[in-house]
Amino acid sequence: MSLLSIPFERHRLDNGLKVVLSPDRSVPIVATNLWYGVGSRNEPAGKTGFAHLFEHMMFQGSAHVPKNKHFELIERVGGTLNATTWFDRTNYFETVPSNDLELALWLESDRMGWMLPAMDQEKLDNQRDVVKNEKRQRYDNQPYGDWDERLQALVYPEDHPYRHTVIGSMEDIDAATLDDVRSFFETFYVPNNAVLTIAGDIDPAHALAQVERYFGEIHPGDPIPALPGNPDIEPLIGSTVRDHVVADVPLPRVIMAFRIPPYSSPDFAVAEVSRSLLGTGRASRFYKRLVRERRIAKGVVTYVFPLLSGASMMLVWATGFPGSDPAELEAAMSEELEALSEAEQSEVDRAIALTETDLVRTLERVSERADLLSMFDLYFDDPGRLNSELDRLRAVSVDQIRAFAGDRLGPDNRAVVVYEPESAR
Amino acid sequence: MSDLDRGRRPTSGPIRDFDFPDVDRRALPNGLDLRVVHMNRLPVVSVNLFIRAGESALSDHNAGLAVLTADALEGGTKKRSGGELSESLERIGARVSATGAWEGTSVGLSCLADRLPEALGILAETVLEPDFPDDEVARARDQQLAAARQRSMDPASLATDTALTRYFASDVPYARPIDGTAESIAAMSRDDLRGYAEANYRPEGGGLIVVGDVETSEVEDMVGQYLGAWTGSPATVPDFSARPETKDRRLCIVHREGSVQSEIRVGHIGVPRATPDYYALSVANMVLGGMFTSRLNLNLREENGFTYGVRSRFTYRSEAGPFQVSTAVGNDVTAAAVREIMAELQGMAEGGPTDEEVAAARDYAAGIFGLQLETAGQVATRVSQLVVYGLGDDYFDAYRTNIRGVTTESVATAAARHIRPDEVQIVLTGDADVVGPELEELGLAPLEVMSPEK
Repeated sequence: MSLLSIPFERHRLDNGLKVVLSPDRSVPIVATNLWYGVGSRNEPAGKTGFAHLFEHMMFQGSAHVPKNKHFELIERVGGTLNATTWFDRTNYFETVPSNDLELALWLESDRMGWMLPAMDQEKLDNQRDVVKNEKRQRYDNQPYGDWDERLQALVYPEDHPYRHTVIGSMEDIDAATLDDVRSFFETFYVPNNAVLTIAGDIDPAHALAQVERYFGEIHPGDPIPALPGNPDIEPLIGSTVRDHVVADVPLPRVIMAFRIPPYSSPDFAVAEVSRSLLGTGRASRFYKRLVRERRIAKGVVTYVFPLLSGASMMLVWATGFPGSDPAELEAAMSEELEALSEAEQSEVDRAIALTETDLVRTLERVSERADLLSMFDLYFDDPGRLNSELDRLRAVSVDQIRAFAGDRLGPDNRAVVVYEPESAR
Repeated sequence: MSDLDRGRRPTSGPIRDFDFPDVDRRALPNGLDLRVVHMNRLPVVSVNLFIRAGESALSDHNAGLAVLTADALEGGTKKRSGGELSESLERIGARVSATGAWEGTSVGLSCLADRLPEALGILAETVLEPDFPDDEVARARDQQLAAARQRSMDPASLATDTALTRYFASDVPYARPIDGTAESIAAMSRDDLRGYAEANYRPEGGGLIVVGDVETSEVEDMVGQYLGAWTGSPATVPDFSARPETKDRRLCIVHREGSVQSEIRVGHIGVPRATPDYYALSVANMVLGGMFTSRLNLNLREENGFTYGVRSRFTYRSEAGPFQVSTAVGNDVTAAAVREIMAELQGMAEGGPTDEEVAAARDYAAGIFGLQLETAGQVATRVSQLVVYGLGDDYFDAYRTNIRGVTTESVATAAARHIRPDEVQIVLTGDADVVGPELEELGLAPLEVMSPEK
């Protein structure tokens, strides 16, 4: 087996559901993975957080599956399951012993086809409370918990679909109604807006017959409506925009973000590799210089958001030490960003080598294979992109990275959120 | 028309048996326990070098030394600076990370199979010839001190750290955070780290676990080359027995003004890994709070909407670790959540589980076991547990049989013995002015209000 030749086949049911099957019989487990083409970017003003609240409602039962049965039945066979909501999509996934593939298909198809009959006000109120607690626990009650809200507001203009966070606002979550649940379901949770991937211990022909049996009779919906707001966006922010926060946080932290080309752009790979030079591994520039040599950062984080609409986002952050000056930290980060315009080939080779190991490790899991296949099919209509991922990254040249540093990481394209501890004042 | 009856759960197909992979075991002359598992699905290898140099062997004034020494290990060797060390590994796509824990220090390596000989050589150099230069020690120490500060301001960590001091007597290592305290960490010098590694990074009692696309004979050759001259036993050994601070139920809140939520911990001292009740107690905990469909989660999350999630857990160590229920809830339902947690503990301790609950938890445990044997890393983690806790070679082969052998009676007995609502320590972080009065009204114990140290 060559390093990256994950086998798969594609099908499409008459109702528009895309199906990807990826057999690997080495371990008797199977992953089912459904990506729906809906996320927080589809939420209009006043409905922020709804895509995520809706994800919770998907576990509240469907016409033939009582509340909590979904969890109970999957756990009963020793399976795992969950779902996540993101800007551009919502995914639902189970991993089960392979003799229970049909169970997972039954549960997923019942909520894709017959969710609404099981919805009621009590379930909505209950999950609204759960989600509000999730927001308190993961955001409101956390030091730095509002960083993404602040950053997105700096990077994206008022009417852009990425302006608001996935968790949304308490006010909007409070305002959600059963009618919203119904119309959201009918608009977005339709087979023609979804990819189902099954990876693991399967016979593809048998699995396809089962998918047809469980999902084939679900009616397609209308074409998906255009995004609310305006996804068109200037490639650069235009200046350095900032938000200085004095808050009850333990350590100073500087978070910087840059508009970068969307995930669909060939230039996105340049951002990915540039990001690795800055932050992947201990030989990376940020770790080496800020953490190890200068010792002005306790830790560094770098990340690229793979977003589809208009512009994506790359971010770098550094956390300082007690009493350290955030301005000094920011200046040091800027130096490293500028220095990337003198990147060397050896750094690119190192970044690619680490990425290769990490990707192969990721693909050890059938659940991860399924998730990536679903993503590539939903986003690019091309699950085979999984097997060419490394080639795409390897094609990035050091000259492109040097140019990227100047074009995208300069002061004309920066959003900066600085957290300064209250106690330091 | 389809003959599909959607009202019926599909029947399961025949189970495909899957055994725990074969483990080749070799006792090396230097006392290191070598275990190799051949897995060739993808060309990767996971390595764990386990050294019996752990936090539980350290006294309070050295608390955090094993963790800090492991952190500073990336700082370089007698032959290479820290920067060169990282460069040599990452150039070949390899990652090495060292972690100090209660039982010992684990140095992990992840790489592609064809890079193993070179990467394992660098791992050996890292552990056997560390240099601990001053600036790297200072870096690791400053990072740990900053992390301690972060923990002290994070409501969840603050609740957990405080709870540990109430579960265990103050001279039990488990009463302190594993990373040590600000006082103990601040005092650690380069000499301390050097001395610690010199005396304790020794092979006797430890293990080398190698899992992936590699043959045992190849591993033996590499080990002979890189670790053959390594000898000796760790100098510092654990000398304590885990005891509770008190058997009286107590209630305290760490006051955090303006909290929009309360972090709740309810627990007491648990049991050691070697308990004969291990399987029955594992099932009891799954029913109580170890699964999504556990009693606690169905009550607090799905019925009441109090929380995003709640779980209970026995942490099994060589000595008795903690048993703990943990959750975070809104201010207005804090007292109600504590009341419900107490009711569920009482219900499990006194009434035990139902046959149906036991069957569900047993099936879950037996099934999920197979799901976690997929990657080299997962298998390496499992095999490491055999070494760390001295479990029998057939432990994982027999695991599913043993879990399936658990009965409702044995679970009820284990629950009654090891879950003791009268002895729990209830610890919260939250706004005492807002949630305190209702907590007191529960009548569980007098309310102590503590202020967080900054």
